[in-house]
Amino acid sequence: MSIDTGDSSPETSPHGRSIRLDADGTVDATTFRLFALASVLVLTASYVSVLREVTRVVGGTQSLLAIVGAALLVATVLARAIRPRTAGTLAILAGVGGFAYYFEAAGIGSRAVLGSADELLSDALTLATGLPLLQMIEAGVWTLAFAPAPVFLSWYLALRGRYALSVVPGGVALLFLVLTGDAGTTVTLVGTLGALATVGFGELTSRGGSIAQLDLLAVLFAVVIVLSLSATFVPSGPANPTTAGASDPGTLEGAIDSSPERSGIAGDVDLSPAVRFTVESERPSYWRTGVYDRFTGDEWLRSGQEEPFEGQLETPPGEFNRVEQTVQAESDLGVVPVAPEPVDLDGPIAQDATVSSHGQVHPTTTLREGERYTVESAVVLPQREPLQQAGTDYPEEITDHYLQRPEDTSSEFDERTAEITDDAETPLETAIAIEQYLRTSKEYSLEVERPTDNVAEAFLLEMEEGYCVYYATAMTQMLRAEDVPARYVSGYSTGEPVGDDTYVVRGLDAHAWVEVYFPDHGWVAFEPTPPSDRNEVHGEELEQAREDGLEDVDTPASADAAAEDPSDDGEETTDDATDEPEQPDDDETNESEPNETDDGGDDVGSPAPDDATTGDDADGLTIPVTVGRETIALAAVLLFGVVAGIHRAGMAAQVRRSVGCYWHGRRGEPDRDVVRAYRRLEWLLADEYRPRCPGESARGYLEALATEGRAAASAGAGGETSATAKAETHGDSALATDPRVRDVLEHYERAVYGGGLERAEADEAIETVDELARERLPFVGRSRFSDREHQKEPGDGV
Amino acid sequence: MTDVNSPPSPTQQSSTDRDRLSISAVESVSAEIQDNVSRVIVGHEDVVEHVVIALLGRGHVLLDDVPGVGKTMLARSIARSIDCSFRRVQFTPDLLPADVTGVNVFNEKSREFEFQPGPVFGNVVLGDEINRAPPKTQSALLEAMEEGQVTVDGETRELPAPFTVIATQNAVEPNRTYDLPFAELDRFMAKLQLGYPDPAQESELLGRTIGDHPIDALEPVTTRETLVRARETVANVRVAKPIREYVTRLAGYTREHARVGVSPRGTISLLRAAQARAGTNGREYVIPDDVQLQAPVVLAHRIRTEDRDRNGDDIVSAALESVPVETDLE
Repeated sequence: MSIDTGDSSPETSPHGRSIRLDADGTVDATTFRLFALASVLVLTASYVSVLREVTRVVGGTQSLLAIVGAALLVATVLARAIRPRTAGTLAILAGVGGFAYYFEAAGIGSRAVLGSADELLSDALTLATGLPLLQMIEAGVWTLAFAPAPVFLSWYLALRGRYALSVVPGGVALLFLVLTGDAGTTVTLVGTLGALATVGFGELTSRGGSIAQLDLLAVLFAVVIVLSLSATFVPSGPANPTTAGASDPGTLEGAIDSSPERSGIAGDVDLSPAVRFTVESERPSYWRTGVYDRFTGDEWLRSGQEEPFEGQLETPPGEFNRVEQTVQAESDLGVVPVAPEPVDLDGPIAQDATVSSHGQVHPTTTLREGERYTVESAVVLPQREPLQQAGTDYPEEITDHYLQRPEDTSSEFDERTAEITDDAETPLETAIAIEQYLRTSKEYSLEVERPTDNVAEAFLLEMEEGYCVYYATAMTQMLRAEDVPARYVSGYSTGEPVGDDTYVVRGLDAHAWVEVYFPDHGWVAFEPTPPSDRNEVHGEELEQAREDGLEDVDTPASADAAAEDPSDDGEETTDDATDEPEQPDDDETNESEPNETDDGGDDVGSPAPDDATTGDDADGLTIPVTVGRETIALAAVLLFGVVAGIHRAGMAAQVRRSVGCYWHGRRGEPDRDVVRAYRRLEWLLADEYRPRCPGESARGYLEALATEGRAAASAGAGGETSATAKAETHGDSALATDPRVRDVLEHYERAVYGGGLERAEADEAIETVDELARERLPFVGRSRFSDREHQKEPGDGV
Repeated sequence: MTDVNSPPSPTQQSSTDRDRLSISAVESVSAEIQDNVSRVIVGHEDVVEHVVIALLGRGHVLLDDVPGVGKTMLARSIARSIDCSFRRVQFTPDLLPADVTGVNVFNEKSREFEFQPGPVFGNVVLGDEINRAPPKTQSALLEAMEEGQVTVDGETRELPAPFTVIATQNAVEPNRTYDLPFAELDRFMAKLQLGYPDPAQESELLGRTIGDHPIDALEPVTTRETLVRARETVANVRVAKPIREYVTRLAGYTREHARVGVSPRGTISLLRAAQARAGTNGREYVIPDDVQLQAPVVLAHRIRTEDRDRNGDDIVSAALESVPVETDLE
């Protein structure tokens, strides 16, 4: 705050606060106006930054910035030209127009929207109750539709000086983004402070405030910041990846298990041998539980909304085989594993199931242990020739959604991908080239340090090793870089075959892979994770498990596993909350020798990462850093607030006064010294009676005090006890009538108005004030003073 | 129409060649004058003090009051106390300027014109009911007040020193009077009101007037020359910069808060009055209190407000209340 406060500061004169505010402290209104406008911009920037985060993922940043810029420009131009009501109408029109366009783009059609206003309402409600913007199908268009109205209106109102009102559109916009969970804590905080500052500075502008009133604003700031940090009332969104990673769904299996709308990418992971479910199926398959189309750089999101399952889903456009599977949950399941693509679902969960816009079935209730369901899937049988011939004539809805890449993907990534797929001529060849490249060039490892930026990029360009999530993510993004529609899917690998088309699927089978779209065929799965490497990593356990499993059917296998479970790795057991005692059989696996069996098609061994380590690791890394930085920031903010508060309460002046009363300080020019001595005397008087009014002369003040003192004394004599007490404390009320005070006053007048004083006279005045001050020292002075009072008793009236 | 209480004073003498009076002498002289006047005038100490201050501060006084409260008596007592000539002009609607300033009269014996000085040639001139005369006549007096000289038939004549006008104006019959133009009001240093005495004072007054009027027994307590020297002393009372700034702030306040605020002539008058008050208190420098005590009588009649609810007095008291006495001194 480098605003010129003039040559006076409030502390310099004890009674002067109000004078300074009126006379000198008033800051040029334009300064405050600039601050207020800047604050509006901060608020605007806060929610535009959230929108920009969306466009960064789905594209359209330039359009967004252009729209925001245009809105600001139009508002600036129109600020003087149109009336607020017109501006409001304009903003509403802009909003309505934008959203009409959005609905058009989303394929809903504005006419249909008008017809189903209740659906529209429920959409808005869904958003407002925490659906992230990125999950919307047309998130980019929505963003562009959303931006102009609040930007325009708030800037327009701010330019017209309606600061408080200008906060409303911006605040509503920010609030909405907070409710969707997209605005992170920091952004929300910054936006809130911007809003607060706008109102504050706006008030100061319109009321002709003074610099001294800024401290109140500062106190408010500090309170808001500290409160927001101590209680995280803002739902943390994707802007805060560490929080997302540390939470349960951040683990791979956790993500698969609960099938959330977002799938984070973790660092180190662990395995869980617990049996999840068994499948009876005529064909082995990967059991898919989630499909993700949108990549933000550090997590996968599923766009679009869930529709309730109402029988028979769409079948793939090409040839397919119908495969029926019966799945029995062996532990509580939050997902519906199916062989892609599911077309029909039967069983108790069918009523509650929902279907994503990507054709994946999701349960709304948890599947209990032992519950069963039957799925009919249309399995696309990949054959090289037809796929090779498929061409690139993709339907629009496929290219719209499955080619998305974060805008900030580096060109290096694209170049590298182009290099790798140099020889490929068809999408199939591209996919195979990438698959092969990843399989051969990267090592399989569950111990991975999570990259901080774009995961796909980091994996392709920097990292040496990773696990399925990294492979699948990189491959999907690489395919998209080559304009091949692809998506990231998660689920479980086939599991352990236990005879008669039955497969036991464990936690360690959790997996992620890639699906590539071929026109006239549909989605075909690809496996970029090297199966052999994966088996090397946990070969022993898997091989042993398989042997055991082969002997028996699933139940005995589970029973065995249960018996030996306790002897197993402690971590694994503890990590797995849903672990049932009867399930996994790992100890035997441990004992057995490593066996190199694997077969790309029906590999049992896929990593079942368990993120306990991840969580710990992340915590271990982040906590000291965050605490350190946050603590410092918090301390700085607190200090700032306290300082401002002290300033507000005039405590600095108070302290200076209290010290100044008793200590004169360095002596200089006699006249100045006398003036300072008189100031100290005035502080004493102010403490005892009241401060001097601005219009009161020094002499007039003293005379008024004497009169008032007498009046108070006579009131005390009137008999009221409190008044008497007061009169007693003011027993030293003689201060106003003390001849020494009068003497100092005359010295002061001569110094200021007369011809000045000699050194000796100045010293005399200082000493007198020192003496008077000492007499008023809280304890020492009291006793000494009462002595003096007694001596003076006989008529020393003055 | 004019009545001369004492012979016109002899030729004026410049006071510059004389020693100034010491400040304590000024204090005692003014105290003596006030004391002396109070033998005749019962109560009204503050008004007497203001008149004395105007006398010392080279100003003129306008008494605005109902008839019969002792305006004339006040003026005469003052004149008598300082051993000065006292002249009185009773303003009437048919009074001519020459009746105030004097005329050239043809002397049969010497066969030439002689100047017959008008009543304005006195040390203390009482312009009674000044608002009854037409503006032309009023201005003859007012010009003399401003210039300290009178021009008759092309010949300019100096007025005696000290020259103080005490004008009265009748507040009772406003429809038969010519209100003083605002510009001319500005020439009076102070406008005062005597007001009725309180019962005790009035009975005291009645007691004194039985038998010989006390004014007849009034003796001068000082000489005209002493007074001139005292005025010289007062003119040199120190006015520090903070005081000048304070006066400027006060004037500025009136200009901001009224249609017509205090003119620079008004601020000069205020400073002179403050100097004179410092002098009467035996102080060689003006303090803010001097300014504050003089401001109401010096400034109020120079202010014109727009609304009827606030007159000049209100503006001045508001100014005194809210204008800071001191800005930062350190």
